Amino acid sequence: MTRTLFAVLSAVLFSGCVVFRGELEADPVTHMLLQLPALALAGVLLLLATDLRFVKLPAYFANAITLVAVFAVFFWMLPRYIDASLINPFVEFAKFLTLPTLVGASLALAWRQAHPFLRGFLKANAISMLGVLGFLYIHAPLRICNSYLVSDQQRLGYGFLIAAIAVSLAWTFPLFFPSPSETGASQSKTNKVTV
Amino acid sequence: MSEAEIKPHAGAVKFTMLLSGLVFVLMMALGLIMRAAQGEFIELDPALFYQILTAHGAGMVGVAGLSGAAIMWYFVGRYVQLSAAMYWAFLGLFLLGVVLILSAIFLGEFGGAWTFLFPLPAIAGGAWEPWAAATFILGYVSIGVGFLLYYLAIGYPVIKRYGGLARALGWHVVFAGADPADGPPPTIIAAAAVTVFNTLGTVVGAAVLVASLVHLLVPGFAVDALLAKNAIYFFGHVFINASIYMAVIAVYEIVPEYTGRPWKSSRPFIIAWSAILLFVMAVYPHHLQQDVVMPGWILVMGQVVSYLNGVPLLAVTAFSLGVYLHGSKARWDLGLSLLVLGVGGWSIGAIPAIIDGMLVVNKVMHNTQWVPGHFHIYLLLGEVAMSFGFMAWLVRKGQASEAGMSTLDKATFGTYLVGAAGFTMVFLISGALSVPRRWAVHLPGWILQDRIGTLFAALVVLSTLALVLKYAVGLGRGQRS
Repeated sequence: MTRTLFAVLSAVLFSGCVVFRGELEADPVTHMLLQLPALALAGVLLLLATDLRFVKLPAYFANAITLVAVFAVFFWMLPRYIDASLINPFVEFAKFLTLPTLVGASLALAWRQAHPFLRGFLKANAISMLGVLGFLYIHAPLRICNSYLVSDQQRLGYGFLIAAIAVSLAWTFPLFFPSPSETGASQSKTNKVTV
Repeated sequence: MSEAEIKPHAGAVKFTMLLSGLVFVLMMALGLIMRAAQGEFIELDPALFYQILTAHGAGMVGVAGLSGAAIMWYFVGRYVQLSAAMYWAFLGLFLLGVVLILSAIFLGEFGGAWTFLFPLPAIAGGAWEPWAAATFILGYVSIGVGFLLYYLAIGYPVIKRYGGLARALGWHVVFAGADPADGPPPTIIAAAAVTVFNTLGTVVGAAVLVASLVHLLVPGFAVDALLAKNAIYFFGHVFINASIYMAVIAVYEIVPEYTGRPWKSSRPFIIAWSAILLFVMAVYPHHLQQDVVMPGWILVMGQVVSYLNGVPLLAVTAFSLGVYLHGSKARWDLGLSLLVLGVGGWSIGAIPAIIDGMLVVNKVMHNTQWVPGHFHIYLLLGEVAMSFGFMAWLVRKGQASEAGMSTLDKATFGTYLVGAAGFTMVFLISGALSVPRRWAVHLPGWILQDRIGTLFAALVVLSTLALVLKYAVGLGRGQRS
């Protein structure tokens, strides 16, 4: 039942991104901060609808797949390829293919099994990259994308900043108050460990 | 505690402290050169003076952070499993940063001071090329990334073992009525607080560094100068204070070995560290009180929090240290003496900071030598003393309670104390006489203080060299950590 729900939701999200492509891509804010994450989320849901979610990966493989996802994200953060996806059908097709698979499905498969330090590093990197993108788009003295106006990219910059703040809060709160299953905290808090 | 518990990382920490000791001596030598030049004992080209000023500032802040980080790593390792690989990654990035910074200064002639105040790195007036400023900033970025890895490596196991940062900070004791005996040890409380505020400080610093770098490469990208100054001083204030808050962990862990009285996580102690967590971040506007375009309420907050900021330190750590030492049968050696001096100097150094944090005083004092007087007390008689106390303890002979103080130790300690106290007092007196800070060339009326300061600085350099040599000899003999 749950699997079916995940599959249906994935299909709905992906279809929505395709059907409303024109509307979503007309504005860089909805293009970058709605369509791209929605495509990745469709990939997450698709993987959760399969048995792949139970696959136990070797540690190095989980780390590698996570990095594949990160580099795919990096690629789609480049204004040049966002621009290209609007005018080149091949790039647009690549976007609809790689975001669900290389980003969404990869993260759903490997994220929880990746090394905790790698996950922490990537979270910190994601926050700082959102902040840097916010700065760049707000202060850029020229049009970064040919398809969007300077005022559009400035709105997008503020969107990135808001996303950075939201993600920071969402990821910081559990560090202070994690669920017991996430910590495995021991009873004795004062005993020194033997390493 | 047995040696086996800390042995895996003891080598890395000892190596780091040796590096730190050497860098302390080198940076002090640069300070001595600057004071000697101001006092006209030697001639120094002003351009070179500002390069040395930049190296001295960046080097001292960096090595204070490095030594504090090594101390915290060593003692946190008594409670949680830490990753040695992450420590070496941190140290590698730190050293890469040092190479970049030194190259920028002494090959690229960058002299924009350790604060890299925006947009100064980009408007050098021909004194240095943009690549030098960019290299300097990349050096900072490398060190910043190293510190973020370091806090990730500390924070993750602490969160796992203590059930989140809130519990590691002891909030369940203060807010949920848990027994203090169920609270985390002082080292963990301090480490959790520093991890939170210095991660935030470093992230803010990284943001303004990247903005400065982009501005250097593409001058059309400009960030609001006042926003950049706020970010820089938030980062700078938090980072340098974090170095002391990390080093004080040595006091919590080592002093009980002498007194036989464990340092306890009492409710006041926990509340004090939670207050520090807030105050150390909220107090930074006292660096911007001459920026009249700042909103008034922020400047007032800077003054008020300056008053409050000293309370947790003075009322809890310094007072507690006195209580633990009073009536104990601690046998004084070089390590204990330096650690106690560190807490004393830290506490005394807070007072001129509180005075300078008052708006009416700041208007006339902030650009004088009063301010280096304050932070040299904070560091020379605070963080640096704690670091050398930790180093002396690392290579002590036998148990802490058995070790005594040799004549050489007494001479070294006495010379360091007299030199550092005299050196910093000269700064304070010069500040009160309105001698400006950061000037390469001084007026004839200021030369006398400069010369007296130079002599005290020479005492500091000599005694610090003796401390480093003692540590190196102790390491060479393979004495117990």
